[in-house]
Amino acid sequence: MIVAAGTFTAPSIDWFALAPLLVLLVGGLVLLVTASFTPQWPKHLYAYATVALGLAAMVVAFVQWHAITRDGPKLLVGNAVSYDHFSMFGIITICIGLSLSAMVTDDFLRREGMEGPEIYGLYLMAAVGGIVMVMSNDLIVLFLGLETLSISLYVLAASNRRRAESQEAGIKYFVLGGFSSAFFLYGIALIYGGTGSTNFNRILTAFDSVPLQRKDSLVLVGVALLLVGLGFKVSAAPFHFWAPDVYQGSPTPVTAFMASVGKAAAFAALFRVFVVALPNWKDDWRPVVWVLAILTLLVGSISAVVQTNVKRMLAYSSISHAGFILIGLEAAGHSGASTRSGMPSSMMYLMIYSVLVIGTFAVVAVVGRTGDGATDLGSFRGLSRQKPWLATALTVFLLAQAGVPLTSGFIAKFGVIEAAVDEHSYALATIAMVSAVIGAFLYLRILISVWLADAEVGDEKREAMHIPISTGAAILLCVGFTIYVGVNPEWLIQASDRVVLVAVPVVGG
Amino acid sequence: MGQYLPVVCLMILAILFGVVSFVASRLLAPRRPSAAKQAPYECGIVPGRELPERFPVSFYIVAMLFVMFDIEIIFIYPYAVSRQELGSFGFWEMIAFTAVFFAAFVYVVARGALDWGPVHKYRRLDSAVSAERTLSSTIRRVGTEGRLDEKAA
Repeated sequence: MIVAAGTFTAPSIDWFALAPLLVLLVGGLVLLVTASFTPQWPKHLYAYATVALGLAAMVVAFVQWHAITRDGPKLLVGNAVSYDHFSMFGIITICIGLSLSAMVTDDFLRREGMEGPEIYGLYLMAAVGGIVMVMSNDLIVLFLGLETLSISLYVLAASNRRRAESQEAGIKYFVLGGFSSAFFLYGIALIYGGTGSTNFNRILTAFDSVPLQRKDSLVLVGVALLLVGLGFKVSAAPFHFWAPDVYQGSPTPVTAFMASVGKAAAFAALFRVFVVALPNWKDDWRPVVWVLAILTLLVGSISAVVQTNVKRMLAYSSISHAGFILIGLEAAGHSGASTRSGMPSSMMYLMIYSVLVIGTFAVVAVVGRTGDGATDLGSFRGLSRQKPWLATALTVFLLAQAGVPLTSGFIAKFGVIEAAVDEHSYALATIAMVSAVIGAFLYLRILISVWLADAEVGDEKREAMHIPISTGAAILLCVGFTIYVGVNPEWLIQASDRVVLVAVPVVGG
Repeated sequence: MGQYLPVVCLMILAILFGVVSFVASRLLAPRRPSAAKQAPYECGIVPGRELPERFPVSFYIVAMLFVMFDIEIIFIYPYAVSRQELGSFGFWEMIAFTAVFFAAFVYVVARGALDWGPVHKYRRLDSAVSAERTLSSTIRRVGTEGRLDEKAA
């Protein structure tokens, strides 16, 4: 990226290839600026504009998916951005997360009396950051995307200004996130020092050059720091401590956005860096990822069991899901550059999990009632008597998260464990299945409250739950996707199988 | 390593200076403590009371605007220096950057960041203006009970 001024040649920019990014970026800016001039828009309009932008970006990504199938992947903007199926899969996941979260947020903001365009502007900017991360082919570009995403999420976490918990979540996320960004940046610096470039292509080819042999320790420390930085963002144990507090304190739709878009972008970046740019060091990072995956799985599923707040439980379950996706990364660390076996199943896992987690948190947002405070397990007791359909939707989401067959969660978990078994990591696959069983206890605990327990004493005095129309629509879409993919997964598996063909040329093995 | 030798020397000297100063003052200085000497050092006048006022948030927003413009200048300076080499590509990049920056500025100003002083909101006057409202009905006199000079006033 750094060039001497005298030799500068302008990179050609393929505007169409960057269209999903530009739609969200320009749309977000126009939304913010026009909304700041005009009086409060009629209800739903901010959210509908955001959903429309998300869908527009998704449609463009679908068109580009077919264009890539026809013409093959390529690199854009001076090799800094990659245009391939991996990017498009990530962009579609992010756009789904953005649109569904915006639908849930709409009703939430009206209920809490904080309607305004700002949250949606931040959603759009965070999605832009996520897309930059997914598409990046250069560590500096990746860092830019990471910061755009993270800074938006810090503000979003603290966006409920009247709740102390939200403020606390924001400051905790900010301090720890800033810390992890520093790790990441230091890692970039060391990799630049060791390989002489921040570009993925050059990092890949630098492995064969002779002087690198002397600087290998520099690169290895850099790889470790990158893993720490990204491990924070995906909330892998032992870097997960922020996640329960932040997930619990943030406004519930924001938690859904964080767990879907934030996690998908961070994992896509993790795959970009480790599988695409650093496969030559895979014998060094694979054991570390193996340990991280096991720690994350066990910490996530065991800590979730003792929680009493549903948002906190779901935060720990999100940590254990991160463990499952790390299994995919470990599998990709075994296989050669041409197969990259764990990558498709992990990307599919991210898409399925994004939909699931938004659906789950949408139900939590409805149950939380005004003030967003009624999220302890007791508030869910007797839900099936009051709102049988809501209870049914929650059941579908939780069973899917537990990995019950005929739901999308089963397909997701099966995919990563199959990848691990294919690469002969039997120990990891076994531990994953054991932790899935431990995790099932947590989901069943919520379901017992919902279906078998009577409502808490005094619950009838509380405000009645009502399911607003766009949240209801979002929950319905999530349920539909969960069951449809669970029954008929072939198309998604076939689509995700194409993500292994990334734009960076395959060098070595 | 040779090129770092001056830095290492300087570091050793700095540490030595600190240690020697502390040891010397411990050995040589006369010990006559007083309340003023033992108080933690702060420059300026010793505050007589805790600050009671809240800090107006508008200062903070203006400071943020100031930082925004600082950042813009930081990016524009290097461009200005190598404008020739960057050519029209650099020019349009700066236009795009400035446009995004300007959008942020328009947003901040439109949301009232530069509206100084108390916020004036338009209110409906129906409840405030009516024939029933007189001085005696709207103003409640408090704290006057039992005061000696009440009748005199």
